[in-house]
Amino acid sequence: MSAQDTVRAAALERRYRRLLRCYPPGHRQVHREEMLGVLLATARPGQRAPGARQTVNLVACGLAIRARRALRSLADESWQDALAVVSLITPAVMLIIAALDIAVAIRVAVVEHYAYPLAGPFWQTWLVSFLDGPVTVMISWLAVVLLGLTGRRRPAAAIASIALALALFSLLATLIQNGAWSGGFPMFLITVGQGPVFIASLAACSLAFSAGPRRGLAIAGRRQACLMIAALAGVFGVPEIVRMVRVSAPVAASTVSLLDITVLTIAAAVVVTHVRDTVDRRVAALLAPVLLVDAASIRFEFDAISTATVVLSLGSLLFAVLVWPVAIASWRGRVRRSSHALPT
Amino acid sequence: MQEPTFLILTALAAGPQHGYAIITDAGRTSGGVTRLQTGTLYMALDRLCSAGLVEPDREEVADGRLRRYYRLTDEGAALLAAETERRRATAAVAAQRLSARLAGGTA
Repeated sequence: MSAQDTVRAAALERRYRRLLRCYPPGHRQVHREEMLGVLLATARPGQRAPGARQTVNLVACGLAIRARRALRSLADESWQDALAVVSLITPAVMLIIAALDIAVAIRVAVVEHYAYPLAGPFWQTWLVSFLDGPVTVMISWLAVVLLGLTGRRRPAAAIASIALALALFSLLATLIQNGAWSGGFPMFLITVGQGPVFIASLAACSLAFSAGPRRGLAIAGRRQACLMIAALAGVFGVPEIVRMVRVSAPVAASTVSLLDITVLTIAAAVVVTHVRDTVDRRVAALLAPVLLVDAASIRFEFDAISTATVVLSLGSLLFAVLVWPVAIASWRGRVRRSSHALPT
Repeated sequence: MQEPTFLILTALAAGPQHGYAIITDAGRTSGGVTRLQTGTLYMALDRLCSAGLVEPDREEVADGRLRRYYRLTDEGAALLAAETERRRATAAVAAQRLSARLAGGTA
């Protein structure tokens, strides 16, 4: 082999090594030297660079193996356990948010009644302002929680899905009504990425594709579950409580935001400090986007539409959509495992 | 079963082989029609190994390069047998119809 040939072979090997970085680390560790041997053995004499077809093939196959391994890790038991915990936490959070909404509605009704005594009897004002939405929402989430805790996961998932559809519908209605469309795409994203809708999506999805809240309670334990519920409900309940206390006096946006940030930090701390094992890490990964949504809305209050708000909203929206395929893949893995386990 | 998978299992049916030998064997078996790419081979091997149809056999160093041999497991052999039977049946039907067509043409 001439000196030139050696240089060419070294260049080819270097290029192949670079291409093999498309493969997942575990695969690379075992097969890199072996694959390099095959690649160099199949190369033409004097070849200096991988051909276009071979490059595409190596990149595509490396990414396909990565995707396959990622999917296989989703079928891992821990994702199913994490989804079960989430199916316990999220409906309870929705129930608390709905209850706070009702409390706010009553408070507003009382204030309105005393501000405009001629508007009619108190009960009428009260009922009108409050019967339409919040009660229906609260009853449905109460049903989801009770059905879930009594082991009727499927009906709970069905009601949660209906509640999610209604929440999305009312969100769109509000958007159109308020002319938020005029705010353009970023405004739309921020509103769509709203917390409660996001939590409802998580609830419906985790109930549909996991063993359900009872299993979640067995995994997380009562104490941890209550802490997580309180933390998340706090994140989204704080604005409600502030509105309830200071119903007539306008609250400075910065006051609310500071309060929000404090609650958000506490919630994040609760979620993070309770990570003990893989399941907890997965639970945190599923719930973290919820906190991201809240961070987006805080940013929004501070400086309206900025790159940060758009990125945060877009990120949370992406998570909200991604949760579904993740849950379905994990569920299918569980079904496959149990069908394998049957004959033994 | 896809053609590369069939050719890889067929190559291993003769005995344990390393990657380069599988590629040359596949080329020969398919009459030069299928040129197995290295990426495709190792993606298939990854899948076949995790499905338990193929397993690593032994390692050797030749010309300073690592060579890993793969062998067919009993499950792999059973799958190859089933696939071969299926292909044989399909080919038999095709052959039968073609001969009937030829007979019809000459009559």
